[in-house]
Amino acid sequence: MTDMATTDDATGTADEGAIIGVGELESGKFPDRPFMQALVDVSIEAIQDAQLTVSDIDTVLLIPCLHSADDQADLIFNRVTEELGLLGKAKAGAMMHSGGSTSDNVTRTAAGLIASGQAKNVLVAQSEKWGSAPVTEMVDMLSGYGIPREWERSAGITFNGIGALITQRYMADSGATAEEMASVCVALRNWARLNPRAMYRDKELTVERVLSSKMISDPVHAMECPMLADGAAAYVMTSAGAARAAGHDAWVRIAGSGGSVSHYSIAQDADLGVLGWPAAAVEAYEQAGWGPEDADLAEIYDSYAAVLTIAMEGLGLAPKGDAARNFAAGDYSPGGRLPVCTNGGLLSAGHTGVGGGTALLVEGIRQLLHRAEPQRQVENAQRAVCGGSGGTYMDSQVLLLERTTR
Amino acid sequence: MTAVSRDIVTPYQEALSNGELLIQQCQNCKAHIMYPRHRCPVCQSADLGWVAAEGHGVLQSFTIQRVGAPTGFEQDLPYAVGVVRLDEGVQLLARLVPDADGGWDSYACDVAVRFQPAAVTAPVRGPAAWFEVDS
Repeated sequence: MTDMATTDDATGTADEGAIIGVGELESGKFPDRPFMQALVDVSIEAIQDAQLTVSDIDTVLLIPCLHSADDQADLIFNRVTEELGLLGKAKAGAMMHSGGSTSDNVTRTAAGLIASGQAKNVLVAQSEKWGSAPVTEMVDMLSGYGIPREWERSAGITFNGIGALITQRYMADSGATAEEMASVCVALRNWARLNPRAMYRDKELTVERVLSSKMISDPVHAMECPMLADGAAAYVMTSAGAARAAGHDAWVRIAGSGGSVSHYSIAQDADLGVLGWPAAAVEAYEQAGWGPEDADLAEIYDSYAAVLTIAMEGLGLAPKGDAARNFAAGDYSPGGRLPVCTNGGLLSAGHTGVGGGTALLVEGIRQLLHRAEPQRQVENAQRAVCGGSGGTYMDSQVLLLERTTR
Repeated sequence: MTAVSRDIVTPYQEALSNGELLIQQCQNCKAHIMYPRHRCPVCQSADLGWVAAEGHGVLQSFTIQRVGAPTGFEQDLPYAVGVVRLDEGVQLLARLVPDADGGWDSYACDVAVRFQPAAVTAPVRGPAAWFEVDS
């Protein structure tokens, strides 16, 4: 990994990565919104938000879709460079893929390219059509995706089943009750209701409703499962020196980052209630020179409530065993002590596949740029803890983001 | 380096179909390896063999899948799967034998479980190891 924080100086170095603009489309079911249209629209929105023109982009890093092999091939071969009119201008285009942690890995890669002078302005973009894809096909795909075919597929494990295995272990370790787990979903829904792009912005949720919904995979109820959604998100990174020269008042830098791969097969994790978060956290906080107590907000992968609570505890944002309890007490809800998943998370903004992690990261950047809608903008947000996880929660990736001003 | 195929899948699956749970063992460093690997993940040796598992372990976690089975598993619903850590120190994903009443109330995280060879079925989708509460 690139050593991006060699100084305690909060303003960083001139050649380090600086995120200056974001774009995001509404999440939900949009069968009439073509995949490539969404990708092009969200790219242009991010470039304009960054106060650049399309031809300023010299590198395009794409985050994969999962709904279609054909559309993913368009990402692999960077069709969007042709669509955007970047032929002869873009130096390179590539798709990176580590599932739900892709956005974290792409961000480190983009920062490395910029810091080493290999790229000037990097566009990172994502589009997904999960919400419009046939459900049975997606269930079958996810029952074999990131699951070892030879060893585990014959047991009949599912995507929800994997979330349930994690949840069962977390509840056994922490003593968290069903009500406390359900309250995580309710807190995220309350954030989603403040986000005009969230899939479930118009639907209220209560603990009672969650617990009276059908049991899908014990102990996970239907309303504790993420809903597959269409969505698109993008951001633009340049160097801090270029951001300053262009007259930007504020940008977002990576103060620290860390990661840990804890398994590939779900049954090979040494501790299903811990995963890789503690190891990832140590590295990231050391680099940043600040700790979890200094965070103004957190945007962490939440495809199931326990995926989020395990991460929060591993990242030191909640005492061991207390995250679900603290959610029930309202600590992480709008108006609470620490805003968490302020876009509503995957659980309530919509699970846009690999894009779920991207949407959380983009929300963290947006909050630090102070460009969130006023009803959910975290006042004077300076530092955000962002986390993602891919496959069957195989890896734990953390980015510590910081607002920087001229 | 010779490019001879080392089939690690067939021996494991054939033994399992015959009611025997195998663990791969490195002939060089003696490490127990699960799932089977092409090279020893500890010492990188290609000299790997098999030993029969004792069949005893501890349940790390489990779930009862009630809705949304993958194609081919619809008729099995509801069914339980769990992560088992064998006494040999290696882990695997297994199916869990239901209690006499058809449920799984006797299962919990950290209960002792044992391999149940008689329950191994479903050759069409590949065999799965089955475990039951070790009472």
